[in-house]
Amino acid sequence: MTFSNSNFPDKEGFYGEYGGKFVPETLMYALEELENTYNKLKDNKDFIDEFYKDLSHFVGRPSPLYFAQRLTDYYKSGSIWLKREDLNHTGAHKINNTVGQILLAKYMGKKRIIAETGAGQHGVATATVAARLGLECHIYMGAEDVRRQSLNVYRIKLLGAHVHPVDSGSATLKDALNEALRDWVTNVDDTYYIIGSVTGPHPYPMIVRDFNSVVGKEVIEQSKDLFGKMPDAVVACVGGGSNAMGIFHPFIDIKETRLIGVEAGGEGVSTGDHAAPLNDGTPGVLHGARSYLMQDESGQVKDTKSVSAGLDYPGVGPEHSWLKDIGRAEYVAVSDDDALKAFHEVTELEGIMPALETAHAFAYLEPLMKELDSSANVVVNVSGRGDKDINTVAEIDGIEF
Amino acid sequence: MNRLTSKLQNLKENNKKALVAYLVAGDPDLDTTLDLMHLFVDSGVDVIEIGVPFTDPIAEGPTIQKAHDRALKNNISLKMILELVDKFRETNTETPLVLMGYLNTFISHIDLVQSIGENSADSILVVDVPGELNLQTYGITNPNINTISLISPTTKDDRVESIAKNSTGFIYYVTLRGVTGSSNLNIEEIKNNIQKIQQYSDAPTMAGFGIKSVEDASTLAACSDGIVIGSSIVEMIADESKTKEFGRIGKYLREMKTAIS
Repeated sequence: MTFSNSNFPDKEGFYGEYGGKFVPETLMYALEELENTYNKLKDNKDFIDEFYKDLSHFVGRPSPLYFAQRLTDYYKSGSIWLKREDLNHTGAHKINNTVGQILLAKYMGKKRIIAETGAGQHGVATATVAARLGLECHIYMGAEDVRRQSLNVYRIKLLGAHVHPVDSGSATLKDALNEALRDWVTNVDDTYYIIGSVTGPHPYPMIVRDFNSVVGKEVIEQSKDLFGKMPDAVVACVGGGSNAMGIFHPFIDIKETRLIGVEAGGEGVSTGDHAAPLNDGTPGVLHGARSYLMQDESGQVKDTKSVSAGLDYPGVGPEHSWLKDIGRAEYVAVSDDDALKAFHEVTELEGIMPALETAHAFAYLEPLMKELDSSANVVVNVSGRGDKDINTVAEIDGIEF
Repeated sequence: MNRLTSKLQNLKENNKKALVAYLVAGDPDLDTTLDLMHLFVDSGVDVIEIGVPFTDPIAEGPTIQKAHDRALKNNISLKMILELVDKFRETNTETPLVLMGYLNTFISHIDLVQSIGENSADSILVVDVPGELNLQTYGITNPNINTISLISPTTKDDRVESIAKNSTGFIYYVTLRGVTGSSNLNIEEIKNNIQKIQQYSDAPTMAGFGIKSVEDASTLAACSDGIVIGSSIVEMIADESKTKEFGRIGKYLREMKTAIS
């Protein structure tokens, strides 16, 4: 088994005109070292076997492709299938990538692990794999996210990792990424930086995509088994875009399947208060890569707004920008209100409480199922479970514990 | 000849080291920045690096980050910075000026960068573009502007040569693993690496990042063509931003100048 079926990125790390390595010089060596290590290991049988063994026994893969009967009945059209990444160990797709990257860290002999996190899922996943290998772990998290994701902060601490709240800028995910990059610049010799999405400088978008592509590969096999053909559409939420890229990537050459990424529309795309760069951004350079970006006319990065901490990011992975431009994937946005409505609907109809990030993907079923043929099979990537968002939802609903 | 190139040549011919000083444009406000630039020159600074503020300055430590944030509160743009440079040039046509910032702010204003004339800024240093990439790739082809690339302790030998070739202004040797304003200089490593750079290139090599004391300054000047001071000045600017009494900065710069002479 190999990881990737795509020729992209090119050797400079570009997907068309997106991607690249825009970092301070101090990090160039570390990126090169990582790229060389990864290129050596990605076709190495022992490495691949170890990765898939961990995915089976530690993560609990494969995750089911589950037929959502009542949700299907609710929309009165098509068939809705749920890719249950919420059932993974630690409760989201994030663990797939961290299991892979910690193996790279191990092979490279790095003793210290750092990561950024938004919703806290990547922080939990990183702290989890670091604990498993007994490695020192530091998680950077925006101070605003520390507040709204306090449950995950505590989980990270229980796992023995250190949480560093970041006060600079907008005190959210992008600032956590800035701070993690600064840590890496300073401690580059002994530190491995586990980036949590398909963002950042090359080779990260490629590595994170490849490790998380296990999701899409499973869906292809499960679709054959369960309904005998490829899905008509695959729907996933997009913040940085790792869960979407993981499920989209193996489908890139399967042209009969529509790939639909759902961004965070916040107060509504037309208000400007959102986190939907693919819908309302322009190409720019942030965090080491060129991609669609929410920026003002002076090239300053704009503050974002989303009820979901994991989508509250002004950039997006470069491969998504490329898939948008070549028309292979469609990118839409849904508002906070619609996502919250979908959160409650799915919880009540299916007994599955999705993460607020995932709720954005569910919210797009409303227009999509009307548009599709009644025989359509639609796969929703249930990127994570919603336990971590209970405080946020309760606060919005005016409930005090 | 480019103002920066001729200035550094001149210093070298006279066996002198360059004192390069950094501030962030618009911190605390543009009028004060202009005053500070003149103060720098009066205190012996040879080259001024003007920080172009960016929302996400990943190479900067907390001191300079905060200065970027303060400047952005004043909505400082590249256009305003070039106007500031014009004002400075009304009375000073000698001192080379380097614009230091992040790629996104420059490519958002590529028309402005391309229109920079002879009597304006002299050089651009983009922190987040790898040195072997030429800024021409990004549309920066203005012959009035030369470019400065960074080489760090982690830069491998095979890259030093290609980076050095792309530096038409000077080579900026980053004296430590870390962000601006960090400490713990490894003097032996710095000496060795600067010697290595000089084998590959005739361009002047400046040492910067983490230089605070006169001792650091004199040690590093001895093995380079000059030194860059940033965070310690930016911190003093922040301290005195209310009173705007910057005598301490002038004194500090004069001490640094003496230390490297």
